[in-house]
Amino acid sequence: MNGAINFTYGFSHGVEWGWPIAVYLLLAGISGGALIVALLVRFYKKQHEDTPLLKAASLVSFVTIAFGMVFLVGDLEKPLYFWKILINYNFTSVMSIGVMAISIYIPLTLVMCLYLFEKEISMVLAKKSQLLDYFALVMGILRKFRPLIEVLSVVFAVVICAYTGFLISVLVRFPILNTAILPALFVVSGLSAGTASASMVATWFFKEDAHSSDMKTLHVIEWPIMAVEMMLIAMLFVSLLVGNEFQQTTTVAFQSGVYANLFWFGVMGVGFGLPLVLNFALGKHVAHSKMAFYLSGMASVTGVLCLRMFIIYAGQTFGV
Amino acid sequence: MENDGKRRAFLKVLGLGSVSLGTAGYSVVMEAEKAEKKPHYGMIFDQNKCVGCTDCEVACRKVNAVPEGQVRLYVENKTDPETPMEKKYVRVSCQQCEEAPCVAVCPSKACHRDAKTGIVSMNPDDCIACKYCIVACPYDVRFINHKTKAAENCNFCLNTNLAKGKEPACVEACKYKALVFGDLNDEASYINQILHVKDSVRMKPTFGTKPSLRYIPVVKVGV
Ligand code: SF4
Ligand code: SF4
Ligand code: SF4
Repeated sequence: MNGAINFTYGFSHGVEWGWPIAVYLLLAGISGGALIVALLVRFYKKQHEDTPLLKAASLVSFVTIAFGMVFLVGDLEKPLYFWKILINYNFTSVMSIGVMAISIYIPLTLVMCLYLFEKEISMVLAKKSQLLDYFALVMGILRKFRPLIEVLSVVFAVVICAYTGFLISVLVRFPILNTAILPALFVVSGLSAGTASASMVATWFFKEDAHSSDMKTLHVIEWPIMAVEMMLIAMLFVSLLVGNEFQQTTTVAFQSGVYANLFWFGVMGVGFGLPLVLNFALGKHVAHSKMAFYLSGMASVTGVLCLRMFIIYAGQTFGV
Repeated sequence: MENDGKRRAFLKVLGLGSVSLGTAGYSVVMEAEKAEKKPHYGMIFDQNKCVGCTDCEVACRKVNAVPEGQVRLYVENKTDPETPMEKKYVRVSCQQCEEAPCVAVCPSKACHRDAKTGIVSMNPDDCIACKYCIVACPYDVRFINHKTKAAENCNFCLNTNLAKGKEPACVEACKYKALVFGDLNDEASYINQILHVKDSVRMKPTFGTKPSLRYIPVVKVGV
C-alpha cells in the first residue's frame, strides 16, 4: 500500500464465492473427517470385522463428497465446461490440485463402500446371477488391496480437508482467509463434523448401540477435537488483532453485524455451547438420552456449517 | 536426413567457435539476443493530467464490446472532501502483474499470459467461470462478462486495437495525455523516457505482484 495514490473501487460484487461453496467446504470436511476418524479407530483397535461405525463412515464420506461436487460444479456459471479443468491442467492452481485429489478420493470412498456393503449389494444383485458373478469377481480382486486402500483413504481424506483450506487461504486480498491457520482449522473442524455425522448414521441406520465401545471412543475424542478447534479459532482472531492495520480492521467481523451473530450464536453457541451443555450441564440422565445424542451431533454439524459460512462471507467482506 | 542433422550440428559448433573468437561474431550474438528479448508492455497514469472526463472508459467499452453496466476500466474520483477544489482521479483497471495471481490460480488456464506480448489475457472459451481469479486478484479488477460468461480483465486491447497496430483505446481517447503506453523493455521508448524523469509508484507493491502499471501521483510541494 502506498499513501501517495490509491484506489478503493472494485469490480467484484461483494461476496463472489457464496453459500454453495461454504456448503461444499462443509461436505468435503464431513467426508474426510468421518473417514479419518473411523479408519484411525479401526487401525488403533486393530479391528478386522466390519463395524457399524466404519460402515456409516464409508457411506457418509462417499455421499457427502458426491453431493459436495454437485454444489461445487453447480456454482460455476458454466458448469458444463467443468471438463476443461481436466484438459488444461494448471499445476500452480490449488483448485486443479484439489480436483486431481478429489478424482482419486471419490473412487477410494466408493471402493470403501463396496467393501463394507458387499453383502447388501450381493443381495440386490442376487436376481441377476450374471451380474452377481461379475461383482464377486471384482470384489475378489479388490479384497486383496484392502489394507492399501484403507491407508490411502486416510491420506487422501486428510488431503481433501486440508486442500479446502489452502483453496481459500491463497486469496491474499482477504486477511481472514489469508492465514496459515485456515487449513489446520478446516482439518480439525472437518474431524468434529465427520465424527458427529458418522456416529449419528451408525446408530440410526446400522443399529450401533449408543454405548458400544466404538461410540464411547468417539465420545472421548470428541472433546479434545473441539478444544483444538476453539484454540485454532482463538489463534486466528489473535493473529488478526495483533496484525497490521488491514488485519486489525477485519476483527470487526467478530464484534458486530450479522457475521458476528453468525459467529457467536452459530459457531460458539450452537456448535460448541449446545453439545457441552447437553453432555455436562444437565446431569447424567439427559447426557445419556438418545435425544441429547442426536441433538448434540446435529448441533456440532450445524456449528461447523456456521464456521464455514462465517469464514467464507466475513472473509470476503473484509478485503484489503 | 540423419546426415543432414549431423552436419548442421557440426556447423553450429563451428559457428559458436568463430563467434567467441572474432568480433564479427559478437554482433551476431547481439542480434540474436535482441530478437529473443520479449516486450514488457506497461502503462503510465499521470494523476496530474487526468481531469476525470471518462473518455477513456467510454472508448474502452466501445472498442472491447464490454456489456452495458460493466467496465474493464473505471476512473475513480478520489478528491479529498476537505479540499473539493483539488480534484484527484485514479485509474482502476488490471495492473498487468508480472507475478499475476490470476494466472497462477486459474484451473483451466483460461486466464493466461499471452506468449508473444507477455500481456495477461483471457481465452473465454476455456473459462469455466469459477471466479477463482476474481477473488485471487489483489486489485479486484476482474469480472465475469455477462455476454461471454467468462472472466475478463484489461488486456491493453490485445485482441482489438493492439492487433491492428494501434495504441490501446483509452490511450487514444485521452485528450489530456494522462495515459502513456509502451514497451518497458525498450530503453528508447517514450514510456521509459518519462519514467526516467518522473517519480512514479505501483499500486499495493507489498503483494509482490510487480504491476506493470505506473502511477504518477499528485504531490504538493509547499508554497
Ligand atoms: S491486476 Fe489482477 S487481473 Fe490484473 S494481472 Fe494482476 S492479478 Fe491479474
Ligand atoms: S473464472 Fe475463468 S479465468 Fe477465472 S479462474 Fe475460473 S476458469 Fe480461470
Ligand atoms: S480520458 Fe484521460 S483525462 Fe479523461 S478520465 Fe481518462 S485518463 Fe482521465
